[in-house]
Amino acid sequence: MSQVKRIVIAAVCAALCIVLPMAFHSIPNAGATWLPMHIPVMISGLVAGPVAGAVTGLLGPVLSGLLTGMPAAPMLPPMTCELFTYGLVSGLLSRFVRTGSVTRDLYVALIGAMLAGRVVNGVLRALIFSPGAYSLEAWVAASFVTSLVGIVLQLAVVVPIVVSLERAGLVPPRYPEKDA
Amino acid sequence: MRGVSGYVWADSPLHRMGAGAKLAGLVACVALVVLASSPLELLLVCALVAALVALSRVGWRSAARSAWGLRWFLLAVLVMNAFFFGAEDPVISVGPAHLTVAGAAQGVRVVVRTLLVVVLGTLLTATTRPQELIDGVRALLRPLARVGFPAEAAALAVGVTVQFVPTLLRESRQLMRAQTIRCGTVVSHAIMRRAVSYMRLLVPIFVSAIRRADELSVAMEARGYRLPPSRRAADGGEREMHA
Repeated sequence: MSQVKRIVIAAVCAALCIVLPMAFHSIPNAGATWLPMHIPVMISGLVAGPVAGAVTGLLGPVLSGLLTGMPAAPMLPPMTCELFTYGLVSGLLSRFVRTGSVTRDLYVALIGAMLAGRVVNGVLRALIFSPGAYSLEAWVAASFVTSLVGIVLQLAVVVPIVVSLERAGLVPPRYPEKDA
Repeated sequence: MRGVSGYVWADSPLHRMGAGAKLAGLVACVALVVLASSPLELLLVCALVAALVALSRVGWRSAARSAWGLRWFLLAVLVMNAFFFGAEDPVISVGPAHLTVAGAAQGVRVVVRTLLVVVLGTLLTATTRPQELIDGVRALLRPLARVGFPAEAAALAVGVTVQFVPTLLRESRQLMRAQTIRCGTVVSHAIMRRAVSYMRLLVPIFVSAIRRADELSVAMEARGYRLPPSRRAADGGEREMHA
């Protein structure tokens, strides 16, 4: 995939980071529950690599905050770091994990990124953004309980979307020798 | 979506100012908002933002529209801070919730800061066309290209993002409307059915968005667009051809 295409995919996914929350925010508390901004970031990382994923993770929340006011300013720095990690780690794992099965590769990368992003978010909140006012219980509640529906949605949606993109010929196949 | 497509036609000093200067000003103003902690400092920053709104001639209603969209969120932030910030000297106690003066003050501080940042962001997009914004990002990042930062790629990413938002929003709304006609409104469904509805919605949205990205990148490359390699960018190399 060319560098221009990687950047354009990253940018389009960042645009979806702005568009999807606007659709989801018509439902009360949907942002924290359905995590709509996470999905484009992970897809960008899985499809276009770690740099594109990281770019989407940076641009999505920052431009969304600037243009629509969501996420609100106090939530923006930790969320940007979390999404940056999602994009970077999903791209890195997608590049290096080769189990021989597309679905297995993608799930390993996706779950690895989901865990890494949450750990980075928790560490940054505890040490930098809310020092002394952030507990392990608060992290578990915010990362795994409140967002359980969003986690299930990500697990159900991200891999089928990436596979659909491969089948549609819009992104290069992971195992071209199998398709040949 | 007024923020993206909401350029307000007017002839004001802010409209005439370069986008790079406005972006740098936005960063400086946001830093002031974050650093202001006492009521007097916050009041001074509020006065500065009010002066900028008046100077921009976009109208108070346009400047406040994004902030108005956040009213319920901000109200929730205010109430949560007022009741759960601390338990010392409560004015009223209801179960685990304690309304305190310190909590209310903290809530007001957070809400005012958020409102100021939102209004500043709205002012930027109301006085700057998307293309000017992209050029501004490019101009601001140009010095970083000397140390190898991919300024051209960053400007391209910001530009494509901003320009794609209205298109993708329109397309998403069409798909949502089509799904509502077929299956009823998503909000009314039970949680699992809602998840399935979102799945059915998200797959076409992503396939369509990536197809657009594919078409755009093919068109750009066919017209000879190439991103400068980092060493050329470090020498101040310009892109070979405008897309």
